[in-house]
Amino acid sequence: METAVSIVTFRDIFQDEAGKKSKFTDEFRDLCARILLDKQDMSRLGLKDGQKVRVQSEMGAVIVAAKTSDDDPHPGLAFMTSSPWSNQLAGEDECMPGTGIAAKVSPSDESVTQISELLQRMRAQGIL
Amino acid sequence: MAICTGCSLLCEDIELTVKDGAISHVRNLCRKGHGHYQGLLTQRARPMIDGEEVALDQAIAKAAEVLHGSKAPLLCGWSNTTLEAQAAGMSIAKKLGASICDTSPPCLGTLMERIISGSAPTCTLDDVRNFADVSVFWGSDPSNSHPRHLSRFSYYPRGEKRQKSYEEERTCIAVDVRKSATATLCSNYYFRVQPGGDGEFIESILATLDGKIPKFGEKKRMIELGTILRKAEYGVIFPGPGMLYSLQNKLELFETLLAKLNEIATFKVVPMVERFNSRGYYQLLHGPGNSLAAAAKGCDAALVIGSDPLAELPLATARALARVPLIVIDPHRSLTVDAASVVIPSAISGMEAGGTALRTDGVKISFEPIIESDLPSDEQILARILEAI
Ligand code: SF4
Repeated sequence: METAVSIVTFRDIFQDEAGKKSKFTDEFRDLCARILLDKQDMSRLGLKDGQKVRVQSEMGAVIVAAKTSDDDPHPGLAFMTSSPWSNQLAGEDECMPGTGIAAKVSPSDESVTQISELLQRMRAQGIL
Repeated sequence: MAICTGCSLLCEDIELTVKDGAISHVRNLCRKGHGHYQGLLTQRARPMIDGEEVALDQAIAKAAEVLHGSKAPLLCGWSNTTLEAQAAGMSIAKKLGASICDTSPPCLGTLMERIISGSAPTCTLDDVRNFADVSVFWGSDPSNSHPRHLSRFSYYPRGEKRQKSYEEERTCIAVDVRKSATATLCSNYYFRVQPGGDGEFIESILATLDGKIPKFGEKKRMIELGTILRKAEYGVIFPGPGMLYSLQNKLELFETLLAKLNEIATFKVVPMVERFNSRGYYQLLHGPGNSLAAAAKGCDAALVIGSDPLAELPLATARALARVPLIVIDPHRSLTVDAASVVIPSAISGMEAGGTALRTDGVKISFEPIIESDLPSDEQILARILEAI
Protein backbone atom coordinates (compact mmCIF):
# COMPACT_ATOMS: atom_id res chain seq x y z
CA MET A 1 0.00 0.00 0.00
CA GLU A 2 1.44 3.35 -0.96
CA THR A 3 0.39 6.83 -1.91
CA ALA A 4 2.08 9.44 -4.07
CA VAL A 5 2.74 12.81 -2.44
CA SER A 6 4.45 16.03 -3.16
CA ILE A 7 6.60 17.13 -0.20
CA VAL A 8 7.06 20.78 0.68
CA THR A 9 9.61 21.64 3.37
CA PHE A 10 9.10 24.18 6.16
CA ARG A 11 10.94 25.75 9.11
CA ASP A 12 10.12 24.77 12.67
CA ILE A 13 11.35 26.75 15.67
CA PHE A 14 11.40 23.70 17.98
CA GLN A 15 13.53 21.75 15.55
CA ASP A 16 15.80 24.77 15.03
CA GLU A 17 16.24 25.16 18.76
CA ALA A 18 17.11 21.49 19.17
CA GLY A 19 19.51 21.57 16.21
CA LYS A 20 21.32 24.61 17.52
CA LYS A 21 22.01 22.72 20.74
CA SER A 22 23.09 19.54 18.96
CA LYS A 23 22.13 17.59 15.83
CA PHE A 24 23.10 14.33 17.47
CA THR A 25 20.26 14.01 19.95
CA ASP A 26 17.05 11.97 19.91
CA GLU A 27 15.15 15.23 20.36
CA PHE A 28 16.51 16.63 17.09
CA ARG A 29 15.91 13.35 15.26
CA ASP A 30 12.30 13.14 16.42
CA LEU A 31 11.61 16.72 15.31
CA CYS A 32 13.14 16.11 11.85
CA ALA A 33 12.21 12.54 11.04
CA ARG A 34 8.49 13.06 10.59
CA ILE A 35 6.11 13.77 7.78
CA LEU A 36 2.82 15.63 8.10
CA LEU A 37 0.16 13.98 5.97
CA ASP A 38 -3.41 14.94 5.19
CA LYS A 39 -6.10 13.09 7.15
CA GLN A 40 -7.34 11.42 3.98
CA ASP A 41 -3.85 10.13 3.08
CA MET A 42 -3.36 8.89 6.66
CA SER A 43 -6.56 6.85 6.53
CA ARG A 44 -5.90 5.60 2.99
CA LEU A 45 -2.63 4.16 4.30
CA GLY A 46 -4.30 2.90 7.48
CA LEU A 47 -1.96 4.98 9.61
CA LYS A 48 -2.23 6.28 13.15
CA ASP A 49 -0.18 9.19 14.43
CA GLY A 50 3.40 8.18 15.16
CA GLN A 51 3.43 5.08 12.94
CA LYS A 52 6.47 4.66 10.72
CA VAL A 53 6.41 5.23 7.00
CA ARG A 54 8.93 4.77 4.24
CA VAL A 55 9.26 7.92 2.14
CA GLN A 56 10.88 7.15 -1.20
CA SER A 57 11.90 9.71 -3.80
CA GLU A 58 13.97 9.40 -6.93
CA MET A 59 17.07 10.30 -4.89
CA GLY A 60 16.66 8.17 -1.79
CA ALA A 61 14.49 6.95 1.04
CA VAL A 62 14.04 7.63 4.74
CA ILE A 63 11.96 6.01 7.45
CA VAL A 64 10.10 8.64 9.45
CA ALA A 65 7.07 8.96 11.70
CA ALA A 66 3.75 9.96 10.11
CA LYS A 67 1.62 12.61 11.74
CA THR A 68 -1.77 14.00 10.77
CA SER A 69 -1.46 17.57 9.64
CA ASP A 70 -3.75 20.06 11.38
CA ASP A 71 -3.85 22.29 8.30
CA ASP A 72 -6.94 22.57 6.07
CA PRO A 73 -7.39 19.55 3.75
CA HIS A 74 -4.43 19.01 1.42
CA PRO A 75 -4.54 15.44 0.07
CA GLY A 76 -1.51 14.55 -2.00
CA LEU A 77 0.53 17.29 -0.37
CA ALA A 78 2.84 16.48 2.56
CA PHE A 79 5.10 18.59 4.75
CA MET A 80 8.51 17.88 6.24
CA THR A 81 10.81 20.23 8.13
CA SER A 82 13.88 21.32 6.26
CA SER A 83 16.47 18.90 7.68
CA PRO A 84 19.09 16.26 6.85
CA TRP A 85 16.17 13.81 6.47
CA SER A 86 14.25 15.81 3.87
CA ASN A 87 17.54 16.65 2.14
CA GLN A 88 18.01 12.92 1.47
CA LEU A 89 14.95 13.06 -0.74
CA ALA A 90 15.72 16.30 -2.58
CA GLY A 91 16.91 16.17 -6.16
CA GLU A 92 20.05 17.44 -7.86
CA ASP A 93 18.75 20.97 -7.97
CA GLU A 94 20.06 23.40 -5.35
CA CYS A 95 16.66 25.04 -5.01
CA MET A 96 13.93 22.75 -3.76
CA PRO A 97 11.44 22.19 -6.56
CA GLY A 98 8.64 24.75 -6.30
CA THR A 99 6.06 22.05 -6.78
CA GLY A 100 7.55 19.98 -3.96
CA ILE A 101 9.59 16.77 -3.93
CA ALA A 102 7.75 13.90 -5.62
CA ALA A 103 7.73 10.85 -3.34
CA LYS A 104 5.85 7.68 -2.43
CA VAL A 105 4.78 7.02 1.14
CA SER A 106 4.07 3.54 2.47
CA PRO A 107 3.66 2.04 5.98
CA SER A 108 6.85 0.51 7.32
CA ASP A 109 7.92 -1.57 10.31
CA GLU A 110 11.54 -0.49 10.06
CA SER A 111 12.91 1.91 12.65
CA VAL A 112 13.40 5.62 12.00
CA THR A 113 16.52 6.46 9.96
CA GLN A 114 19.31 7.60 12.28
CA ILE A 115 21.56 10.57 11.57
CA SER A 116 24.64 8.31 11.53
CA GLU A 117 23.04 6.37 8.69
CA LEU A 118 22.38 9.57 6.74
CA LEU A 119 26.01 10.56 7.12
CA GLN A 120 27.15 7.13 5.98
CA ARG A 121 25.06 7.44 2.82
CA MET A 122 26.55 10.83 2.06
CA ARG A 123 30.01 9.39 2.41
CA ALA A 124 29.23 6.36 0.25
CA GLN A 125 31.23 6.84 -2.91
CA GLY A 126 30.26 6.32 -6.48
CA ILE A 127 27.13 8.24 -7.31
CA LEU A 128 27.99 11.69 -8.53
CA MET B 1 23.70 44.13 26.33
CA ALA B 2 24.71 41.22 24.19
CA ILE B 3 23.68 40.41 20.65
CA CYS B 4 22.31 37.13 19.38
CA THR B 5 23.74 35.51 16.27
CA GLY B 6 20.96 32.90 16.21
CA CYS B 7 19.40 34.36 13.04
CA SER B 8 19.76 37.29 10.68
CA LEU B 9 17.83 39.68 12.95
CA LEU B 10 20.94 39.97 15.15
CA CYS B 11 18.90 41.11 18.17
CA GLU B 12 20.95 43.62 20.14
CA ASP B 13 18.94 43.78 23.34
CA ILE B 14 19.93 40.50 24.96
CA GLU B 15 20.53 40.85 28.68
CA LEU B 16 22.49 38.13 30.32
CA THR B 17 24.60 37.27 33.30
CA VAL B 18 27.57 35.01 32.97
CA LYS B 19 28.65 33.10 36.04
CA ASP B 20 31.54 30.62 36.16
CA GLY B 21 31.75 30.52 32.37
CA ALA B 22 28.05 29.67 32.00
CA ILE B 23 24.93 31.74 31.38
CA SER B 24 22.93 32.06 34.57
CA HIS B 25 20.27 34.61 33.65
CA VAL B 26 18.99 35.82 30.31
CA ARG B 27 16.27 38.13 28.96
CA ASN B 28 14.82 38.83 25.52
CA LEU B 29 16.14 35.71 23.79
CA CYS B 30 13.58 33.82 21.73
CA ARG B 31 13.40 30.03 21.76
CA LYS B 32 15.73 29.73 18.79
CA GLY B 33 18.19 32.19 20.32
CA HIS B 34 18.02 30.21 23.53
CA GLY B 35 19.03 27.07 21.66
CA HIS B 36 21.84 29.04 20.06
CA TYR B 37 23.16 30.20 23.43
CA GLN B 38 22.80 26.69 24.87
CA GLY B 39 25.21 25.67 22.12
CA LEU B 40 27.93 27.31 24.20
CA LEU B 41 27.80 24.35 26.49
CA THR B 42 27.05 21.49 24.13
CA GLN B 43 29.16 19.40 21.81
CA ARG B 44 32.05 21.72 21.10
CA ALA B 45 34.41 20.68 18.30
CA ARG B 46 37.96 19.50 19.06
CA PRO B 47 41.03 19.96 16.84
CA MET B 48 41.42 16.82 14.73
CA ILE B 49 43.39 15.41 11.82
CA ASP B 50 42.02 12.22 10.26
CA GLY B 51 40.00 11.38 13.35
CA GLU B 52 42.90 11.84 15.82
CA GLU B 53 42.86 14.70 18.30
CA VAL B 54 45.81 17.08 17.76
CA ALA B 55 46.97 20.50 18.96
CA LEU B 56 45.13 23.45 17.44
CA ASP B 57 48.32 24.72 15.74
CA GLN B 58 48.80 21.36 14.04
CA ALA B 59 45.24 21.41 12.67
CA ILE B 60 45.72 24.92 11.29
CA ALA B 61 49.09 23.95 9.71
CA LYS B 62 47.50 20.85 8.16
CA ALA B 63 44.64 22.93 6.75
CA ALA B 64 47.09 25.26 5.04
CA GLU B 65 49.02 22.25 3.68
CA VAL B 66 45.90 20.61 2.22
CA LEU B 67 44.74 23.85 0.59
CA HIS B 68 48.18 24.61 -0.75
CA GLY B 69 48.43 21.16 -2.32
CA SER B 70 44.98 21.29 -3.88
CA LYS B 71 44.56 21.94 -7.61
CA ALA B 72 40.91 22.94 -7.36
CA PRO B 73 40.14 24.17 -3.84
CA LEU B 74 36.68 25.28 -2.80
CA LEU B 75 35.93 27.60 0.12
CA CYS B 76 32.32 27.26 1.15
CA GLY B 77 29.81 28.28 3.81
CA TRP B 78 30.33 31.85 5.08
CA SER B 79 26.77 32.67 6.15
CA ASN B 80 27.37 32.15 9.87
CA THR B 81 30.54 34.13 10.28
CA THR B 82 31.64 37.75 10.56
CA LEU B 83 32.30 40.25 7.78
CA GLU B 84 35.96 40.23 8.81
CA ALA B 85 36.17 36.44 8.38
CA GLN B 86 34.34 36.66 5.03
CA ALA B 87 36.86 39.28 3.82
CA ALA B 88 39.75 37.05 4.95
CA GLY B 89 38.13 34.15 3.06
CA MET B 90 37.95 36.21 -0.10
CA SER B 91 41.68 37.01 0.25
CA ILE B 92 42.45 33.28 0.58
CA ALA B 93 40.31 32.56 -2.50
CA LYS B 94 42.24 35.18 -4.46
CA LYS B 95 45.63 33.91 -3.36
CA LEU B 96 44.80 30.27 -4.13
CA GLY B 97 42.61 30.88 -7.18
CA ALA B 98 39.94 28.96 -5.27
CA SER B 99 36.17 28.96 -5.85
CA ILE B 100 34.17 30.58 -3.10
CA CYS B 101 30.49 29.78 -2.51
CA ASP B 102 27.87 30.12 0.17
CA THR B 103 25.36 27.35 0.86
CA SER B 104 22.18 29.32 0.15
CA PRO B 105 20.16 28.39 -2.94
CA PRO B 106 20.94 30.34 -6.14
CA CYS B 107 17.38 31.72 -6.30
CA LEU B 108 18.12 33.66 -3.09
CA GLY B 109 21.34 34.96 -4.65
CA THR B 110 19.36 36.41 -7.56
CA LEU B 111 16.96 38.25 -5.24
CA MET B 112 19.83 39.54 -3.09
CA GLU B 113 21.63 40.83 -6.13
CA ARG B 114 18.52 42.83 -7.15
CA ILE B 115 18.13 44.26 -3.65
CA ILE B 116 21.80 45.14 -3.15
CA SER B 117 22.14 46.70 -6.61
CA GLY B 118 19.10 48.88 -5.85
CA SER B 119 16.98 47.53 -8.71
CA ALA B 120 14.44 46.25 -6.16
CA PRO B 121 13.25 48.95 -3.72
CA THR B 122 14.19 48.14 -0.14
CA CYS B 123 14.20 49.68 3.34
CA THR B 124 15.49 48.85 6.81
CA LEU B 125 13.57 46.95 9.46
CA ASP B 126 13.57 50.17 11.49
CA ASP B 127 11.64 51.79 8.62
CA VAL B 128 9.26 48.84 8.79
CA ARG B 129 8.69 49.46 12.50
CA ASN B 130 8.23 53.21 12.02
CA PHE B 131 6.20 53.39 8.81
CA ALA B 132 4.87 50.08 7.50
CA ASP B 133 1.11 49.59 7.56
CA VAL B 134 0.97 46.49 5.34
CA SER B 135 3.41 43.58 5.74
CA VAL B 136 3.24 40.66 3.34
CA PHE B 137 4.95 37.43 4.41
CA TRP B 138 5.26 35.55 1.18
CA GLY B 139 6.59 32.01 1.44
CA SER B 140 8.13 33.10 4.72
CA ASP B 141 7.17 32.22 8.28
CA PRO B 142 9.03 34.53 10.66
CA SER B 143 7.28 33.06 13.72
CA ASN B 144 9.44 30.00 13.14
CA SER B 145 12.45 31.28 11.19
CA HIS B 146 12.98 34.81 12.62
CA PRO B 147 11.01 34.56 15.85
CA ARG B 148 11.25 38.20 16.98
CA HIS B 149 10.52 39.70 13.55
CA LEU B 150 6.87 40.42 14.32
CA SER B 151 7.49 41.75 17.84
CA ARG B 152 10.51 43.91 17.07
CA PHE B 153 9.62 45.19 13.61
CA SER B 154 6.72 44.09 11.48
CA TYR B 155 3.54 43.71 13.51
CA TYR B 156 3.43 44.47 17.23
CA PRO B 157 5.72 47.44 17.92
CA ARG B 158 4.56 51.03 18.03
CA GLY B 159 6.55 53.07 15.54
CA GLU B 160 6.97 56.74 14.74
CA LYS B 161 3.97 56.77 12.38
CA ARG B 162 2.35 53.63 13.73
CA GLN B 163 1.43 54.43 17.31
CA LYS B 164 -1.74 52.33 17.09
CA SER B 165 0.24 49.48 15.64
CA TYR B 166 -1.32 46.06 15.16
CA GLU B 167 -4.53 47.06 16.98
CA GLU B 168 -5.52 49.50 14.26
CA GLU B 169 -2.75 50.46 11.93
CA ARG B 170 -0.96 47.36 10.73
CA THR B 171 -2.26 44.64 8.44
CA CYS B 172 -0.34 41.39 8.07
CA ILE B 173 -0.83 39.18 5.05
CA ALA B 174 0.57 35.68 4.56
CA VAL B 175 0.89 33.94 1.20
CA ASP B 176 1.93 30.35 1.67
CA VAL B 177 1.44 26.74 0.63
CA ARG B 178 0.97 25.83 4.26
CA LYS B 179 -0.96 27.42 7.09
CA SER B 180 2.14 28.28 9.08
CA ALA B 181 2.21 29.91 12.51
CA THR B 182 2.52 33.32 10.82
CA ALA B 183 -0.34 32.50 8.43
CA THR B 184 -2.52 31.52 11.40
CA LEU B 185 -1.78 34.87 13.00
CA CYS B 186 -2.77 36.64 9.77
CA SER B 187 -6.10 34.80 10.00
CA ASN B 188 -8.45 36.19 7.29
CA TYR B 189 -5.50 37.55 5.41
CA TYR B 190 -3.90 34.17 4.83
CA PHE B 191 -3.89 33.29 1.13
CA ARG B 192 -3.14 29.71 0.23
CA VAL B 193 -1.18 29.06 -2.94
CA GLN B 194 -0.67 25.71 -4.59
CA PRO B 195 2.93 24.42 -4.68
CA GLY B 196 4.58 26.16 -7.61
CA GLY B 197 1.56 28.46 -7.93
CA ASP B 198 3.18 31.75 -6.88
CA GLY B 199 3.55 32.93 -10.48
CA GLU B 200 -0.19 32.50 -11.07
CA PHE B 201 -0.90 34.23 -7.80
CA ILE B 202 1.16 37.25 -8.92
CA GLU B 203 -0.72 37.32 -12.25
CA SER B 204 -3.99 37.39 -10.32
CA ILE B 205 -2.87 40.33 -8.17
CA LEU B 206 -1.70 42.18 -11.28
CA ALA B 207 -5.11 41.60 -12.87
CA THR B 208 -6.98 42.98 -9.84
CA LEU B 209 -4.68 46.01 -9.70
CA ASP B 210 -5.60 46.65 -13.34
CA GLY B 211 -9.28 46.34 -12.49
CA LYS B 212 -9.59 43.03 -14.35
CA ILE B 213 -11.05 39.73 -13.17
CA PRO B 214 -8.30 37.46 -11.80
CA LYS B 215 -7.88 34.12 -13.59
CA PHE B 216 -6.59 32.20 -10.59
CA GLY B 217 -7.69 32.00 -6.99
CA GLU B 218 -10.95 32.94 -5.33
CA LYS B 219 -12.05 36.09 -7.17
CA LYS B 220 -13.65 37.90 -4.23
CA ARG B 221 -10.65 37.34 -1.98
CA MET B 222 -8.16 38.31 -4.69
CA ILE B 223 -10.04 41.57 -5.25
CA GLU B 224 -10.02 42.18 -1.49
CA LEU B 225 -6.24 41.60 -1.43
CA GLY B 226 -5.79 43.97 -4.37
CA THR B 227 -7.73 46.65 -2.46
CA ILE B 228 -5.55 46.33 0.66
CA LEU B 229 -2.37 46.56 -1.39
CA ARG B 230 -3.69 49.51 -3.37
CA LYS B 231 -4.58 51.42 -0.21
CA ALA B 232 -1.28 50.75 1.58
CA GLU B 233 0.65 53.83 2.66
CA TYR B 234 3.88 51.94 3.16
CA GLY B 235 3.81 48.28 2.20
CA VAL B 236 6.62 45.80 2.68
CA ILE B 237 6.97 42.34 1.18
CA PHE B 238 9.10 39.74 2.95
CA PRO B 239 9.81 36.98 0.42
CA GLY B 240 10.97 33.69 1.87
CA PRO B 241 12.20 30.39 0.46
CA GLY B 242 8.63 29.34 -0.38
CA MET B 243 8.28 32.12 -2.94
CA LEU B 244 11.82 31.81 -4.28
CA TYR B 245 11.63 28.02 -4.80
CA SER B 246 8.28 28.43 -6.49
CA LEU B 247 9.32 31.23 -8.86
CA GLN B 248 12.83 29.83 -9.47
CA ASN B 249 14.11 31.69 -12.54
CA LYS B 250 10.92 33.69 -13.01
CA LEU B 251 11.81 36.34 -10.47
CA GLU B 252 10.98 39.03 -13.02
CA LEU B 253 7.30 38.30 -12.36
CA PHE B 254 7.85 39.45 -8.79
CA GLU B 255 9.75 42.49 -10.06
CA THR B 256 6.82 43.34 -12.34
CA LEU B 257 4.51 43.18 -9.34
CA LEU B 258 6.80 45.43 -7.29
CA ALA B 259 6.97 47.97 -10.12
CA LYS B 260 3.19 47.93 -10.51
CA LEU B 261 2.60 48.33 -6.77
CA ASN B 262 4.99 51.25 -6.67
CA GLU B 263 3.00 53.04 -9.35
CA ILE B 264 0.07 53.04 -6.92
CA ALA B 265 1.62 53.08 -3.44
CA THR B 266 5.00 52.76 -1.70
CA PHE B 267 6.16 49.15 -1.59
CA LYS B 268 9.51 47.80 -0.43
CA VAL B 269 11.06 44.36 -0.27
CA VAL B 270 13.10 43.16 2.70
CA PRO B 271 14.76 39.75 2.36
CA MET B 272 14.44 36.97 4.93
CA VAL B 273 17.92 35.43 4.84
CA GLU B 274 18.26 32.86 7.56
CA ARG B 275 21.82 32.85 8.80
CA PHE B 276 23.24 35.71 10.74
CA ASN B 277 25.55 37.14 8.09
CA SER B 278 24.33 35.80 4.74
CA ARG B 279 23.60 39.39 3.79
CA GLY B 280 27.20 40.36 4.53
CA TYR B 281 28.49 37.65 2.21
CA TYR B 282 26.31 38.81 -0.69
CA GLN B 283 27.25 42.41 -0.10
CA LEU B 284 30.99 41.65 -0.04
CA LEU B 285 30.67 39.49 -3.11
CA HIS B 286 28.85 42.14 -5.19
CA GLY B 287 26.98 39.54 -7.18
CA PRO B 288 24.74 36.51 -7.15
CA GLY B 289 27.63 34.06 -6.51
CA ASN B 290 28.59 30.69 -7.95
CA SER B 291 26.64 27.46 -8.00
CA LEU B 292 27.78 25.32 -5.10
CA ALA B 293 26.47 22.14 -6.76
CA ALA B 294 28.83 22.65 -9.71
CA ALA B 295 31.75 23.85 -7.56
CA ALA B 296 31.40 20.87 -5.20
CA LYS B 297 31.58 18.43 -8.10
CA GLY B 298 34.67 20.13 -9.54
CA CYS B 299 36.76 20.56 -6.38
CA ASP B 300 39.48 18.30 -4.96
CA ALA B 301 39.50 19.77 -1.42
CA ALA B 302 37.18 22.09 0.46
CA LEU B 303 37.34 24.42 3.40
CA VAL B 304 33.99 24.77 5.14
CA ILE B 305 33.25 27.58 7.57
CA GLY B 306 30.09 29.04 9.08
CA SER B 307 27.86 26.27 7.78
CA ASP B 308 27.07 22.56 7.98
CA PRO B 309 26.57 21.69 4.30
CA LEU B 310 26.20 17.94 4.89
CA ALA B 311 23.16 18.69 7.04
CA GLU B 312 21.79 21.57 4.99
CA LEU B 313 22.24 20.60 1.35
CA PRO B 314 20.42 18.15 -0.91
CA LEU B 315 22.04 14.71 -1.02
CA ALA B 316 23.73 15.10 -4.43
CA THR B 317 25.72 18.18 -3.40
CA ALA B 318 26.41 16.83 0.09
CA ARG B 319 27.84 13.68 -1.51
CA ALA B 320 30.02 15.65 -3.90
CA LEU B 321 31.51 17.48 -0.93
CA ALA B 322 31.88 14.38 1.23
CA ARG B 323 34.12 12.71 -1.37
CA VAL B 324 36.98 15.26 -1.00
CA PRO B 325 39.20 16.10 1.98
CA LEU B 326 37.23 18.58 4.09
CA ILE B 327 38.74 21.18 6.37
CA VAL B 328 36.05 22.42 8.74
CA ILE B 329 36.23 25.49 10.97
CA ASP B 330 33.32 25.31 13.42
CA PRO B 331 32.65 25.89 17.10
CA HIS B 332 30.48 22.76 17.27
CA ARG B 333 30.29 19.16 16.29
CA SER B 334 28.24 18.92 13.08
CA LEU B 335 27.65 16.39 10.31
CA THR B 336 30.35 18.07 8.24
CA VAL B 337 32.73 18.06 11.22
CA ASP B 338 32.17 14.31 11.58
CA ALA B 339 33.12 13.79 7.92
CA ALA B 340 36.12 16.17 7.98
CA SER B 341 39.80 15.34 7.53
CA VAL B 342 40.81 18.44 9.47
CA VAL B 343 38.72 20.07 12.21
CA ILE B 344 39.60 23.50 13.60
CA PRO B 345 37.42 24.55 16.54
CA SER B 346 36.63 28.24 16.70
CA ALA B 347 35.17 30.73 19.15
CA ILE B 348 31.42 31.39 18.73
CA SER B 349 30.87 34.72 16.96
CA GLY B 350 28.77 37.05 19.08
CA MET B 351 29.52 35.22 22.33
CA GLU B 352 33.21 34.40 22.46
CA ALA B 353 34.40 36.47 19.51
CA GLY B 354 33.57 40.00 18.37
CA GLY B 355 33.20 41.38 14.89
CA THR B 356 30.61 42.87 12.58
CA ALA B 357 27.78 41.45 10.48
CA LEU B 358 24.96 42.74 8.29
CA ARG B 359 21.42 42.19 9.48
CA THR B 360 19.02 40.79 6.88
CA ASP B 361 18.08 44.37 5.87
CA GLY B 362 21.73 45.41 5.42
CA VAL B 363 22.19 47.35 8.69
CA LYS B 364 25.65 46.79 10.12
CA ILE B 365 25.74 45.40 13.65
CA SER B 366 28.95 45.27 15.71
CA PHE B 367 29.50 42.98 18.63
CA GLU B 368 32.01 42.35 21.36
CA PRO B 369 32.79 39.02 23.00
CA ILE B 370 30.82 38.50 26.21
CA ILE B 371 32.56 35.35 27.39
CA GLU B 372 36.26 34.65 27.46
CA SER B 373 37.53 31.79 25.34
CA ASP B 374 40.91 30.27 24.57
CA LEU B 375 39.75 29.51 21.06
CA PRO B 376 40.68 31.80 18.16
CA SER B 377 37.96 33.54 16.13
CA ASP B 378 37.15 32.53 12.55
CA GLU B 379 38.95 35.64 11.39
CA GLN B 380 42.11 34.79 13.34
CA ILE B 381 42.14 31.21 12.04
CA LEU B 382 41.71 32.36 8.44
CA ALA B 383 44.46 34.99 8.87
CA ARG B 384 46.83 32.24 9.99
CA ILE B 385 45.87 30.05 7.03
CA LEU B 386 46.34 32.98 4.65
CA GLU B 387 49.80 33.57 6.06
CA ALA B 388 50.78 29.92 5.70
CA ILE B 389 49.64 29.24 2.12
S1 SF4 C 1 15.07 36.50 16.67
FE1 SF4 C 1 16.99 35.65 15.92
S2 SF4 C 1 18.58 37.07 16.64
FE2 SF4 C 1 16.69 37.53 17.80
S3 SF4 C 1 16.88 36.33 19.69
FE3 SF4 C 1 15.75 35.06 18.20
S4 SF4 C 1 17.34 33.83 17.16
FE4 SF4 C 1 18.37 35.50 18.23
